[in-house]
Amino acid sequence: MTTEKQGIEIDNLHLSFGDTEVLSGVNLSIKPGEFFAFLGPSGSGKSTLLRAIAGFGPRPSGSIEIGGKDVLDLQPWKRNVGMVFQSYALWPHMSVRDNVGFGLQERRENKAVIRSKVDAALELVGLAHLAERMPNQLSGGQQQRIALARTVVVEPKILLLDEPLSNLDASLRVEMRRELLALQRKLGLTTIFVTHDQEEANTTSDRMAVLDGGVIQQIGSPQELYDTPANLFVADFLGTANILKGDVTKTAEGFIFTTQTGDILAIGSAETGSGSIVLRPQNISIEAKNGPRTISGTIKHREFLGSQMRYLIDAAGIEMVVDESHRAGAKWFDAGSRVNLAVNTDAAVVIAG
Amino acid sequence: MSTNQALAERLPRFLVPKVSGIKLVAILIALMLIGLLIVPVAIVIFVAFQDPATGALTLQNFVDFFRTSLFRESFWNSFYVSSVSVIMATVIAMPLAYITTRFNFRGSIIIQSLGFIPLIMPPFVGAVAMQLIFGRNGSVNLLLRDNFGVSIPFMEGLNGVILVQSIHYFPFILINLSASLRNIDRSMEEAAQNLGSSGMRLFRRIVFPLAMPGYIAGAALVFIKVFDDLGTPLLLNVNNMLAPQAFLRISSIGISDPMGYVISCILVVFSIFSLWASFLFMHGKDYATVQKGGGGMSKRDLLFSEKALAYAAVGFILLLVLSPHIGLLLLSFGTIWSYAPLPDAYTFANYVTMWDGSKDYITNTLLYAGLAATADVIIGTMIAYIVLRTNIFGRNALDYLATAALAVPGVVLGIGYLRMFHGVNIPFSNEPMASWWVIIALALMIRRLPYALRACTAALQQVSSALEEAAESLGANKFRTIKRVVIPLMSAGILAGFVTSFATAAVELSATIMLVSSNSDAPLAYGIYLFMQTPSGRGAGAALGIVAVILVAIGMIMSQLIIERDKKLRSTGDTQ
Amino acid sequence: MKNYLRGSAAAISFIAAAGAANAQETIVVITSFPDSMTTPIEAAFEAANPGYDLEILNKKTSAGVKYIQEIAGQNTADVFWASAPDAFEVLKNDGLLATVAVTSEGIPDIIGSYPLNDPDGYYYGFAAAGYGIMWNERYLAANDLEPAREWADLKNTEYHGHVGMSAPSRSGTTHLTVETLLQGEGWDAGWAEWKWIAGNFATVTERSFGVPDGVNTGNFGLGIVIDFFGFSSKASGFPVDFAYPTTTALVPANIAVVKDAPNSDAAVAFIEYLLTPAGQEVLLDPAIMRLPINPATYDNAPEGFPNPFMDSSIGAAVSFDVAKSGARYNLVNAMFDVMITYRLDDLRAAVGAIQDAEAKHADGSNAEAMALIAEARALIEASPIAEATSLDADFAGIFTKKRKKATDEVGPRQAEIEQEWDAMVVANYGRARELAEQASAM
Repeated sequence: MTTEKQGIEIDNLHLSFGDTEVLSGVNLSIKPGEFFAFLGPSGSGKSTLLRAIAGFGPRPSGSIEIGGKDVLDLQPWKRNVGMVFQSYALWPHMSVRDNVGFGLQERRENKAVIRSKVDAALELVGLAHLAERMPNQLSGGQQQRIALARTVVVEPKILLLDEPLSNLDASLRVEMRRELLALQRKLGLTTIFVTHDQEEANTTSDRMAVLDGGVIQQIGSPQELYDTPANLFVADFLGTANILKGDVTKTAEGFIFTTQTGDILAIGSAETGSGSIVLRPQNISIEAKNGPRTISGTIKHREFLGSQMRYLIDAAGIEMVVDESHRAGAKWFDAGSRVNLAVNTDAAVVIAG
Repeated sequence: MSTNQALAERLPRFLVPKVSGIKLVAILIALMLIGLLIVPVAIVIFVAFQDPATGALTLQNFVDFFRTSLFRESFWNSFYVSSVSVIMATVIAMPLAYITTRFNFRGSIIIQSLGFIPLIMPPFVGAVAMQLIFGRNGSVNLLLRDNFGVSIPFMEGLNGVILVQSIHYFPFILINLSASLRNIDRSMEEAAQNLGSSGMRLFRRIVFPLAMPGYIAGAALVFIKVFDDLGTPLLLNVNNMLAPQAFLRISSIGISDPMGYVISCILVVFSIFSLWASFLFMHGKDYATVQKGGGGMSKRDLLFSEKALAYAAVGFILLLVLSPHIGLLLLSFGTIWSYAPLPDAYTFANYVTMWDGSKDYITNTLLYAGLAATADVIIGTMIAYIVLRTNIFGRNALDYLATAALAVPGVVLGIGYLRMFHGVNIPFSNEPMASWWVIIALALMIRRLPYALRACTAALQQVSSALEEAAESLGANKFRTIKRVVIPLMSAGILAGFVTSFATAAVELSATIMLVSSNSDAPLAYGIYLFMQTPSGRGAGAALGIVAVILVAIGMIMSQLIIERDKKLRSTGDTQ
Repeated sequence: MKNYLRGSAAAISFIAAAGAANAQETIVVITSFPDSMTTPIEAAFEAANPGYDLEILNKKTSAGVKYIQEIAGQNTADVFWASAPDAFEVLKNDGLLATVAVTSEGIPDIIGSYPLNDPDGYYYGFAAAGYGIMWNERYLAANDLEPAREWADLKNTEYHGHVGMSAPSRSGTTHLTVETLLQGEGWDAGWAEWKWIAGNFATVTERSFGVPDGVNTGNFGLGIVIDFFGFSSKASGFPVDFAYPTTTALVPANIAVVKDAPNSDAAVAFIEYLLTPAGQEVLLDPAIMRLPINPATYDNAPEGFPNPFMDSSIGAAVSFDVAKSGARYNLVNAMFDVMITYRLDDLRAAVGAIQDAEAKHADGSNAEAMALIAEARALIEASPIAEATSLDADFAGIFTKKRKKATDEVGPRQAEIEQEWDAMVVANYGRARELAEQASAM
């Protein structure tokens, strides 16, 4: 049950629902065998893009090539693209076996082949014992696995997963995403995974694309995107970010960033002029005493998160989020305390504009 | 002031049982259904178990029934006609339902409304018009014979019954099948397409099986209605079917033949059996698959060639199903229409004659059908609430009891009412109840209750009980919750139920023909019937029929608009 | 309350009428006559007698009888008004009619050979009607046919599939036509005659009006109908005509006061009005066209209107035995239904096959074929019971409503007998068809 790995090339894809453009100028190259995630808030166009690859929805302009062949003019049933739906879409009038065997029957495989392939697929997802059940007799996680088995059994060129974990319990979600990844590695299928949950995207994908407003904001590995967001949207959408507006100037000692409230931070090289600096909460530390290049502030509130303590601090004209890692016996600042914030500027990113 | 309370407390407990309001309502509804449905039917059917000579209890009559070849043949004819009518109705309804729900097709709303129109014409009027168009010497056959020298026996014998019945009752399948199709989640279909399925295979393997519960509900209704219907075979002079045999034997002068009652009994039992079988089939197959993240049925744009084909198919079907109305319209404006493809000349005179003699019929119909439909939705809502939201013992029996009215032929109910009420006086007068117009409204109410009940049940099923719990947690009691939250949310469904009950009650004849005790109390369908009993009254009767169709159609289209608007309101409310 | 609810749609005229009605005596009339007949009579009666309000309740004859039987315990009807004397006989025998004294002038005792009034005074004739043949001119022209003038003509091959009639069990007057032929031709020959005629039927209608309706629309070409259907259809402008055969039943249309009528005196007043010259005159209205029973009224009749008192051929040929008819009323209806109505397809096929065979062997030279045809004809004509049986009170009683005492000996049941007859005619018709087809093949 392995197929030749296929890459996907998407070039200048535009798609509209009536007058609303939901995808504009999407360019994307997905490598063969890659586990790729589309990440974005609802309405960002990530599901529409996935459905366009599968052939559903209005016909876009531009091109989508799978394995070097343009598929835009192929009907969905001619594309051989496997898709797992958010709702699983298991047909309630068919048994598990019939659901899984459906695609093979449509491909006019003979009965013995269908039987052995279905058994293998069910074995793959560990549910061979449920073959004769009806879908409404299965739990959510089991339904998810059956939907997956139903899709991979036809040996599609690529695998599309539309928010596959969103209907599962939190604990099951973690387990399932590991299984998904293991399965993908085993089959070597080029896979696209749509999600609005950055943790899911981070933990599973080789690379991912962040979408907003029908436009791809940035493409890269999860770490690249987190550490060096290309714009404020990506910075804000991936993890928590303190964003300070100000100006970059070059001085004799190097580049500095002056916030709107007049605080000065030393930074690495950056384009001079107005910009924003992105500070992750864990890259800021709270110092009791005043020092150079620190920002003073007042603690408003603190939240205990287990491995760390999160402070909300009035500083630099905004409410800054600062995380301190927690060790047993550590002392904590109380609300109202005046503190000074030292910034690890090596980890800071400055975004022009 | 407090004497009432004190009195209640002083009485022994069993005299003032603690019954909650809702239980009391359930008991009252159960009593009403027993009194107005079970007892009258039992009174009629009882004769079937009596020896005609001695009056002693016996099953001999049933033995005779099965020994008589004419009755066995009638049974098979009825069965055959009902089955083939279901197939024909499916052939008519399936393309309309499929095209309007699955494709972006201009005029889907018009088709869905026009598709309902055949139901709002009394079947016997439809049969008259169909004779004129498809009969032995109707327009179509005259033209065929003149031009091609052939004729087609559309209306001969059982064919005619099947044609008229399938055209009249196909809306039951159309409505149920469309609703079912709309409830299929888009992803159900897309998953199949994704796995390589398309076209007819996709329809046959995925779409139709998922729509099956709605289809079966509609098909069972058509089957039972055709099996029980009397007017159409009688008008087409087909006697070898069960319902006409029952009627002929019950209503013949002075004949005490118990066979008519045996047949009535068999009609009722067989209808209940069919209903039960369809319930059994649908059990556990509630495939309402619209799910989170789904988007209803996917509507596809049609290619040009497909569009042409779809318009041709829809046009042909609409022409066929509206042919009774076209015939009726021609008849109402025609002077003399005899052995000719079209009337000799056209006139308004029929409408003048009709208007002079029919104001009472129209107002009576509005009154009776209005009262019946109002009562139907009130009782329907109550039963739906009791069944879905309470755990009162035997609540499902209430549902079955009300639904069983579907299985009772109108004639049987009519005779039962006559027998039950003729010894009872109207309150505060010396007139017997049997000749009181209210009895007609009651009969209509019982006969149309199943339609309203289904609509109300469907509406209540879509109201999440969390919405009710929210209201209750904010301090509203049960009654106020129902009034302020449940009923407003059900309003579109209740309206749909009202319109269905009203429209079909307005053209009902089989029960009313037995119960009308004076012409000034007669409803519209009866008026048409009277007009059509004289050579000079055909045109006027047709004009009255047209008025009936227009009246009811206006109501339906208005309610359709209100329901659509309501849907829109609710869907915008969801997304914001 | 209800008048109020009807609201403005009822208009001022209605309110005025309702107001006036309070001061009037209401007469509830159960009738099988159509609106087109009752409306002019009602108008004339109420104009002449402003103190009365006629409340018409239209039901088919059979349903009307059923209705009066059903409401007997708490009767609300005053008058029963219908064509068929038999329906009145049934009600009379059930004790549901009242004897009343009705005074009139110039009305004879018999019309044709039929007594006009019930000798016991339970019901009165007010008009006469005779059966005849109605045809559609366009239909006959298109099918190249001549109108049939005599009952026997209807047996002719050329009318195969062109004739309609209603079932006697559904229409009291049709029953009279059937019984007239049975009495005129004799039991066996009469039934044979009916089966040969019925072999040409296109249909047996459920309502008596179904026949003129079918002829009017051209659904079939000729119909056996009561005269006023023919006259009024023609008067309405349909391309139809009507003729009396030489032997026909001329029978009175009747009226009676229902037993325990709430308003008996007013009911009598209505009956007396119908018998006055003014009341008789209304019958000549083009939409009614019934034969008046006051000979003087014919002086005002339109040109060509038949006058049974002058033209002795109408209704004179048969002397009708009312007692005989009444004794086997339901039995004759059941026989007609079993042999003809319910088995029309079989009968028509058999008769058609015989007609074909006879046409092929018209010269009568093939003796073998002629023998087969004769055998087939005998099978069609065979009657399941003899006349004596039909008049046996016990046997005929099986088909009537009267319930015997529990101690009486229990005979066969109606369903059993009908099954016997049915088995016989189905077998006979099938065999006759086979024989005729064999003859045709020779």
